Amino acid sequence: MSISGNGAQRRELLHTPGGVRDIYGAECARKKEIEQKVHDVIRSYGFRDIQTPTFEYFDVFNKERGTVQSKEMFKFFDRGNNTLVLRPDVTPPIARCVAKYCRDEQLQIRLCYTGNTFVNTRPYKGKLQEVTQVGAELFNDDTSDADAEMIAVMIQCLKSSGLREFQLEIGHADLFRGLAEEAGFDREKTEELRGLISSKNFFGVEELLDKTKVSGKVREIFAKLPELLGNLPECLAYVRERTENERVLSALDRLEKVWAILGLYGLCDYVTIDFSMLSKYSYYTGVIFRAYTYGNGEALATGGRYDGLVGQFGKEAPAIGLAIVIDQLMVAMERQKLFEKNPFGGCILLYPQAVRKEALLLAEQYRDKGQTVQMLRKSSKKTLEVYREYAKRMDAEKLLYLGEDGKLTSYDIG
Amino acid sequence: MRYITFALAKGRLAKQTLSLLEKIGITCEEMKDEKTRKLIFANEELGFRFFLSKAADVPTYVELGAADIGVVGKDTILEEGRKLYEVLDLNCGKCRMCVAGPASAKELLNNGSLIRVASKYPGIAKDYFYNKKHQTVEIIKLNGSVELAPIVGLSEVIVDIVETGSTLKENGLEVLEEICPLSARVVVNEVSMKMQHERITKLLKELKKVIPK
Repeated sequence: MSISGNGAQRRELLHTPGGVRDIYGAECARKKEIEQKVHDVIRSYGFRDIQTPTFEYFDVFNKERGTVQSKEMFKFFDRGNNTLVLRPDVTPPIARCVAKYCRDEQLQIRLCYTGNTFVNTRPYKGKLQEVTQVGAELFNDDTSDADAEMIAVMIQCLKSSGLREFQLEIGHADLFRGLAEEAGFDREKTEELRGLISSKNFFGVEELLDKTKVSGKVREIFAKLPELLGNLPECLAYVRERTENERVLSALDRLEKVWAILGLYGLCDYVTIDFSMLSKYSYYTGVIFRAYTYGNGEALATGGRYDGLVGQFGKEAPAIGLAIVIDQLMVAMERQKLFEKNPFGGCILLYPQAVRKEALLLAEQYRDKGQTVQMLRKSSKKTLEVYREYAKRMDAEKLLYLGEDGKLTSYDIG
Repeated sequence: MRYITFALAKGRLAKQTLSLLEKIGITCEEMKDEKTRKLIFANEELGFRFFLSKAADVPTYVELGAADIGVVGKDTILEEGRKLYEVLDLNCGKCRMCVAGPASAKELLNNGSLIRVASKYPGIAKDYFYNKKHQTVEIIKLNGSVELAPIVGLSEVIVDIVETGSTLKENGLEVLEEICPLSARVVVNEVSMKMQHERITKLLKELKKVIPK
């Protein structure tokens, strides 16, 4: 049979653009549930919800304020010809809000959010361009307690989602900055070095150090960087013996303190320290951390201290934040087979027209008790069997049938 | 035990890699059978899996975590621009990425004129001309026999891999500028490096010992 022109056209309307997708059925139910669980954990630490617009002025995210390159943002223009972008990240808007609405607050400000972010990556990269993030930001607190607490929050969030095997990696942005400073690198060389270390290309690092004739103790530290993880006291001692750079030393002190506090939380098992950890985001100024698990190719949650960001919006305020990419978490849980079947449940109440009034009353009673009830008027042309099949397709737990005689029969489904 | 999966670029490089791996006791007998139609091979005892793919796809498999470790040329890594850990230089398959053309084209590279550049590596060519030489050029993507382009007048110069330079010579072309040295690299997925840290670093350390100098 030939496809009519009209039919083909309609089928074309069914597609979504590359990089975005529909989330429906059981997957959507699970996603909502995980979002809720993660959000509940964050709320329990005293964070207050905030919502910022889906699109904002380009400048809010540009340069050192952003985590995404200009060409990877979705841009468009408003009627005044200003450049707008779909937010690639939620942290800069929240920093903007803090500078705007909490100008005079000197003590802690805790804000959290759930929202979608958009990154305009090249096509065919196998990556989503729209993802949901749940995150938290803590302002006006530059203590190691705040650092450790945010790391603890991230761990608790991931645990609450049902994920079992995961690892957090912790580093410090100033370790790299201090070492590059001590090696006497200019901006260009520092960026080259950043690229090499962030791709763990340590033979490339050696080449660069050869070329620039860096020697002595800094060189020893660079050479040892890939091994500086795991055993914290040993790593600390190794670097401390070989540098007097203040930035590096204070970064080391901070990591040591954070580690000790994480010990009090009893969470050290989830954490490894990695001195060569770097962030491509230059806005981080202190502790940085990332969470990994089996089953997906990149970090599923990231966080770090960014003491300079709010200042760019006009209020000096230290800050630390974390964001969990729910879609990444979902992929990992799917691949690790951590989802239980039938996340929807609830029951379907089937009734013929004759007992409508009774059925409505009954449904209200169930809902008052917290039960989910889906009403469905039975057509006299369809058999009960048809509806039982339907209930199965819908992942319902039960099919309730209220007969014309007022008798209620319950069928377990699945 | 979880598998550690290797993605190897088809061809000579895969053979060299396998013989290196053999030296550190990681073998895969199934893979030696030239007639086999299997796509993926395993060493169940040691918990390793191997597959061959087109070179340009190796970074994709590794970035997205379908393979934990990949072995592929630096040219492909540069061209694909994926987020990967590049952890080891295998010191084999050594060659250079070059700008080549007839000797007469040399002056075109120094006077900033808008020239046409043919290449299998448009990304590398673009990065070199725009960000290093600051010369605006028109890049034409080809899929093979790039040397032909300047001969038949499709472009003024080419950007391509040069091993000995004999193909260039035979066609009246020469190396005009060198972009960078190339060799085979071991790349690792970011998450695998973390989650399978012990096994992967042990493997890399052993591998490092047997790399030809």
